Amino acid sequence: MPRLDDLASADIARAALTRGRYPVAKLISLVEDQRADAAERRDEALSVLEDAAAERGHHGRIIGLTGTPGSGKSSLLARVANQMLATDLQLTVAMVAVDPSSPTSGGALLGDRTRMNLDPAETRAFFRSQASTTALGGLAPSTYTVCCALTFIFDCVIVETVGIGQSEADIRHLADKVYLVLAPLGGDEIQYLKAGIIEIPDAFVINKWDEPAAAKTFHQLRGSLWLARPLDGDRIPIHRTSAKNGYGIDELARALVDDVRQSGSSSLETKAAHFFASWVQDEWGRAGVRHLDTTLGGAQAFLTGQRGFGSAQAEFERSVRAQLRS
Amino acid sequence: MSHTGETNTGPTTPVTPHAVTADVTPEPARHAHEIIDPDGRPTRDKPWIIRTYSGHSSARASNELYRSNLSRGQTGLSIAFDLPTQCGYDSDDAIARPEAGKVGVPINSLDDFHVLFDQIPVEEMNTSMTINATAMWLLALYVALARERGVPLTKLTGTTQNDLIKEYLARGTYIFPPEASLRIIAEMYEFCLEEIPSWNASNICSYHLQEVGATPAQELSFALANAIGLLDLLRERGRFTPEQFQRSVGRISFFVNAGVRFVEEMCKMRAFVELWHEITLERYQVSDERYRRFRYGVQVNSLGLTEAQPENNAWRILIEALGVTLSRDARCRALQLPAWNEALSLPRPWDQQWSLRLQQILAYETDLLEYPDLFEGSVVVRSKVDELKAQARAEIDRILSMGGVIGAIDNGYMKSALVRSMSERVSRINTGEQIVVGVNKWTDGTASPLVGGEDGGLFTIDDAAIRETLHSLERVRATRDEARAKAALRVLKEAARSGASMMEPSIECALARVTTGEWARALREVFGEYRPSTGVDGQRLGLTGDRVDMLRARIDALITTLGHRPRILVGKPGLDGHSNGAEVIAVSARHVGFDVIYSGIRLSAEEIVRSAVEESADVIGASVLSGSHLELAEQIMNGLRAEGAVQHVRVVFGGIIPIGDFAKLQSMGVAKVFTPSDYDLLDIMEEITALLEPET
Repeated sequence: MPRLDDLASADIARAALTRGRYPVAKLISLVEDQRADAAERRDEALSVLEDAAAERGHHGRIIGLTGTPGSGKSSLLARVANQMLATDLQLTVAMVAVDPSSPTSGGALLGDRTRMNLDPAETRAFFRSQASTTALGGLAPSTYTVCCALTFIFDCVIVETVGIGQSEADIRHLADKVYLVLAPLGGDEIQYLKAGIIEIPDAFVINKWDEPAAAKTFHQLRGSLWLARPLDGDRIPIHRTSAKNGYGIDELARALVDDVRQSGSSSLETKAAHFFASWVQDEWGRAGVRHLDTTLGGAQAFLTGQRGFGSAQAEFERSVRAQLRS
Repeated sequence: MSHTGETNTGPTTPVTPHAVTADVTPEPARHAHEIIDPDGRPTRDKPWIIRTYSGHSSARASNELYRSNLSRGQTGLSIAFDLPTQCGYDSDDAIARPEAGKVGVPINSLDDFHVLFDQIPVEEMNTSMTINATAMWLLALYVALARERGVPLTKLTGTTQNDLIKEYLARGTYIFPPEASLRIIAEMYEFCLEEIPSWNASNICSYHLQEVGATPAQELSFALANAIGLLDLLRERGRFTPEQFQRSVGRISFFVNAGVRFVEEMCKMRAFVELWHEITLERYQVSDERYRRFRYGVQVNSLGLTEAQPENNAWRILIEALGVTLSRDARCRALQLPAWNEALSLPRPWDQQWSLRLQQILAYETDLLEYPDLFEGSVVVRSKVDELKAQARAEIDRILSMGGVIGAIDNGYMKSALVRSMSERVSRINTGEQIVVGVNKWTDGTASPLVGGEDGGLFTIDDAAIRETLHSLERVRATRDEARAKAALRVLKEAARSGASMMEPSIECALARVTTGEWARALREVFGEYRPSTGVDGQRLGLTGDRVDMLRARIDALITTLGHRPRILVGKPGLDGHSNGAEVIAVSARHVGFDVIYSGIRLSAEEIVRSAVEESADVIGASVLSGSHLELAEQIMNGLRAEGAVQHVRVVFGGIIPIGDFAKLQSMGVAKVFTPSDYDLLDIMEEITALLEPET
């Protein structure tokens, strides 16, 4: 049986720090482990990583890449990631692609790898697919923890999600910078943009720039931004790319590398409260949320007293179990 | 594959849709059941071109095979190339090595072509080459061969298959993105029209669409939409005068499939003839009847051939051959029959001979060729043809409204439609609604003596052959004029960039002993490589019921055992691009609750290993139909071992794998092997699930 139990979780984490492919994969599986007794092993592994990052005084940054189905974001990610590696020869990049699960069978079809074309010998990149476990897309319950773990190992973690419905809110909490990928649209569809998802992204990418409607979409988007975000609408970058013929890939890759190199570490603390609360909701339901808010004083307060996210999860489980028993 | 030049045989009377009495002056002596020659005497038609799709191991071995086939009465050549040649790699390239010489002949340079056609007069031969992404290169080699032998190009007849649309949809040996691929095809038409007037620069293929599950209406509409796309392009490019354009319409030829529902297939062929006649008039205003004929060759269906009771395939092949020969107005011009044991392995010379004899008996012993069209005036046939035409017309309109075949490929429409048809077919067989004799009905029988014998009824490739190929490749690289080869490649790239025709530069490359891999690499650098949409998204299977529910419960239970939903990586290592088997497995696995990482086709073993490790896959499902399963399994297992992951991943193989290789695969560590006889998808899923469950 494929089991993760044959290595101590701290050892897995230590091996993963040097980006060994198999240890990194095992680490992710450990973090994703859905069994009740996994919290302690997760805690052990995350502690090793957190300590190592604290020693270095630095960890990686999280970039969100979201977009509607058909915007070509997997092909774009493939080209941009390879270009980022070519632009900065020291850069290390992890990619996490999240796809929806089937509501009937629970299974998911994770096809984003098809487009990656990663050189098998390239050790500076790592690609992992995740199933969202819900039909609508968005992040998986463990995406936050997985991305945090990867920021301790890689300079940059790119999270790719299908951008519909409520997932934007989650990706905003997770990523330091959110890029929304659009395909050239007809005039009516731009209205939909105004209504919702235009509020969130830090930057836009109009992909398929080789298509005829692209320039028109660019001007409409710029116009919509002025209306929807009068304070910063002018300054929001709109990148123009074509994953097909390579147009604009250099420029976007350069912007991403600059962001990673200049903006420093991901601010994990500010994200932790949001994802800790949503983890409690997923794992322990309303009783858990009540316990967190009333007994423990809310996610923010509880986390302040903890060594890290993994420890906090383990500690919370102990605490909530104790209360349920009493 | 297939089909013939203008010079050929086949029915001499123009085929018209409403075929007709108008051209027959009422002669009192004439009987309606007779064919009358120009002198007024009863006669019989000449047979279609009789071919066998063949080639293997090395240029020398294939040359011997061709000469023996010709001496046995075959009347044309149909060359099967190996996958590296089809995908533009030299035989010694890392991704090519396991595939070299496997499913066809490896051709690395003009020297190999000299060996392949040794003692075969190309000026007398009708040569069909199943070659697509590298079609321009293979035609350039053929032209260069003729020039070095002093044969005038006008004497060459034959076909380069060169249909990239169906490669994107079904067959998988594409290299370049659609725009570049279509430009290459167009340039070949532009070159051939005056230089090699009897050459078919391409074949519009519906054959491969049926192999991946296309219904007759899909076969008709997708192929005709494809032809429309090509002719529209030739017209837009504007390199032809109106007169030349009319002739180029006459150069469009087709390569079609015929399945076991032979009455419907015969009607499909009549529908093809009529629709083509109508489209060439309505859309292209071609007035000359000669240029509106639907010219087609056939390879009959392999999809329906079974591994169980393989001798039954002989009857299936016969019936399928009838579908494309019975109706004189819609008879094929060239025919290739598969071998009865194709589902087991590549055919041996005797297996091919047996299929050849079938054609000879049909063409020469029977009275088939003595009669005019047998179905003229049949109310039943008329009605069926009309129904197929109406369905095809509606579908053609839908595709044209998406921007034609390129639009309908880009948005995934055509691919999804085919995957859906295939999964419907598989569910019909699973439920028993569609009977397949010996597979889901009457499965008990006496063992066949045909699969006994010393070689177990299987064909194996001699290792010495590949050494000879590699040796010849090294010799070419060592002895050629390096400066001339480099210059030729430079000129080729310049043409590719500037938009000038790449045909003459390719011929110069051939003469300069540039290799197949070098030619393709030069163009890859200019055009890039293409990855099309997979067609697995949004597909559903008609599988329901208790077995599915029980399997889903078992998979849910595995979440507790494993700590995660079980993950299976499905992919096709190697160059073989027939992706539908892998796609059906991917869709089924998700259907029962696996998380499926679909990693696509044409992957090196290293890529499969990397994906499986990074994704923490519990199972790797590798699909191989090219016969390279042993080499690929070894590379995958070694790769997993090097990563330290070998104990944690179960590896299963599926494809055309001879029973004799099961033990070898198992000794390498492959946990399960599935072949076409494992047609029940739930059985397969149950067995894979069991691999992950704790032993009780």
